[in-house]
Amino acid sequence: MPSWIGQAAHRGILTSRYPRAPATEAEVPMTARAPGPPAAGPLPAAAISVCPVGAIGERAVDQGRCIRCARCLAHGLQPVGPVELTVARAEALVAPPGARDPPAPAPPLASLGRSIHVFLVDVGSCNACNLEVLGIANPLYDAARLGIFFTNSPRHADVLLVVGVPTEEMVEPLRRAYEAMPAPKSVIAIGACPISGGAFRGNPGLRPSLDGLVPVDRFVPGCPPAPIQILDALLTVSGRNRREG
Amino acid sequence: MTRSAWREEPADRFALTPDRALAYVAPEGAFALYNDFAARDSVLATGLAPVPPAEVVAAWRDQGGERRPHRLVPPDTVEGYGTFTFPYGPISMGVPESGRFDVVTYGERVLELTPIGGYKARRTLPSLAGRPLADAALRIERLAGNVAAAHVAAFLAAAESAQGTGVPTRELWTRALAQELQRIYNHVHVLGRIAEAASQNVGSAETHALAEQILRLQGHVFGHRWLFGALLPGGPPRRLDLDGRRALAAALAPRSKEFEELWELFLDSRTFVDRIQGTCPVARELAVRWGAVGPTLRACGVPWDDRLRVPVVPYTDLFLALPHERDGDALARVLVRVQEVRSSFLLLEQLLDRWPADGGAPEEAAPPVAPGRGLGRVEAPSGDLVYDVRARDGRIEAVAARTPSDANWPLFSFGMRDAVFTDFHFAFESFGLVFAETDR
Ligand code: SF4
Ligand code: SF4
Repeated sequence: MPSWIGQAAHRGILTSRYPRAPATEAEVPMTARAPGPPAAGPLPAAAISVCPVGAIGERAVDQGRCIRCARCLAHGLQPVGPVELTVARAEALVAPPGARDPPAPAPPLASLGRSIHVFLVDVGSCNACNLEVLGIANPLYDAARLGIFFTNSPRHADVLLVVGVPTEEMVEPLRRAYEAMPAPKSVIAIGACPISGGAFRGNPGLRPSLDGLVPVDRFVPGCPPAPIQILDALLTVSGRNRREG
Repeated sequence: MTRSAWREEPADRFALTPDRALAYVAPEGAFALYNDFAARDSVLATGLAPVPPAEVVAAWRDQGGERRPHRLVPPDTVEGYGTFTFPYGPISMGVPESGRFDVVTYGERVLELTPIGGYKARRTLPSLAGRPLADAALRIERLAGNVAAAHVAAFLAAAESAQGTGVPTRELWTRALAQELQRIYNHVHVLGRIAEAASQNVGSAETHALAEQILRLQGHVFGHRWLFGALLPGGPPRRLDLDGRRALAAALAPRSKEFEELWELFLDSRTFVDRIQGTCPVARELAVRWGAVGPTLRACGVPWDDRLRVPVVPYTDLFLALPHERDGDALARVLVRVQEVRSSFLLLEQLLDRWPADGGAPEEAAPPVAPGRGLGRVEAPSGDLVYDVRARDGRIEAVAARTPSDANWPLFSFGMRDAVFTDFHFAFESFGLVFAETDR
């Protein structure tokens, strides 16, 4: 008779201690940090012209547009942003050079209580964001230890996680899913796609963002964001984020 | 069967000669770019109609066309007293991607299950026209993120063939290395999902943990967890350097051992094996006629694999075991995947061991199928992936693709006939189908 438990113990999987301890090197890929200039001042012209999605302006980088392609890193920008960069307004993702995101200001949805149920809606993704979201359930992150559970029905959901760029076909299903959720409810946009259209921005038949479709409480930039960033956003909307500002 | 035996078969039968390749190419339509493999030929030679019948395909294409959502399988008629159709999706329980399944049933048994795609079409391929190669490749990566390496490799091979650009040997080795890593990730992920569906809680958690470890390794070595940017042309930012190769070599052995221990337990577990044995069977003949690819095809006894059939560096220089099974059911597909994880670990070992020195003449690209037009073909985790690219002066003119999901949707649909609905998740996951690949 095989012993699953014995084997599991023997392999000794290390579950993340986040958010009690800061995210470790292994948990934070380079892409978790938004690119920015090392010091204040106008951004290098070479970096502006090399960006494939027009995320770099003369004075600021729009992290909501950035698809983390790393091209600008060869032209004077560095991965400088904080790992925990989830904001309440998409405009807050346009970071002035050198500036850090202000400490988490959004009032937590305290009424969500202790455990939260999460529903994933894909409105036109490449599948990587879907898999990063599902990733928070694996034993290395173990979202269940933080009282975060996936649910199969929007009727049982407190938080809607939206991945992908909204296609016309998904506008209605997304609205219906949102309306089916009981109040209080919260929506988190995961990745560049739902924030700005990401790499698909401008293609016909797509909405440029979730603007006007559902009210978004939290924006998580990245392409895709790492599981730790998704955890951070979930903890923030449930009012249990202990990270320091 | 050993590798040399494969080599003895007449090469021209499998070669992607210009006229042969073009016969399979159509700019639109899911049945474009059919396989040209021997087994299919032999079935066709028996006098069976070239399936799918032309009129069915035409009707199906009309129905899909630009109007979306559309069927991913040609229409069929299942009628009977008391049957009803219920649509499952586009946001469906337990399937993380958006897509619909129309189920015809009279209760517990599924009479017909039709996948409906198009909900998440981002019109990526048309948007590539006029873009420089590197910018297009960046969008190809994001067509189906979990198989980005295979898509970029096929796309680049096609673009290089179209333009007659040579490629440094090392670049080709890097592509193979990235693809094998991602194959391991995808197979492990699929296995984890099947284990999850079978309520093997501890085992599936362990399998998902292993998949996460592979993602971290990819992130560490290539700077991106999904290998975006790892293979881009023209001074890609995310290079594999000596340190990366060392880190990879050190990390692979323990991961491979972990996988062995874990999946030995699964295949010893009667409850698990019983649950997937006989589930969603695909008959060999059906698979061949419909042009199934990848583990789906190999699970019904047809050992076709592009890595052996399409002569590209470095696969021509490596030893590659080609596992296949006979029964064509979910268990067979699982067994093929388990063995392929092993074989990919072995390939990675060989790649790292024999990493080519820098310099030397670049490898020649495959000859174009027409002036300015090339095909690129790789074995993606779920099977044969083909890109058809027209490019000139470093800019893309048009791109078409036939992905493994395009090819395998019909087989999933057929396998589900007469199944009970509770088989759905095992069946679906065992094919490794990705809506993002068909909704492009
Ligand atoms: S990393 Fe972001 S900001 Fe830099 S070039 Fe790429 S998309 Fe633009
Ligand atoms: S944000 Fe990036 S990773 Fe996420 S769905 Fe969009 S393209 Fe894919």
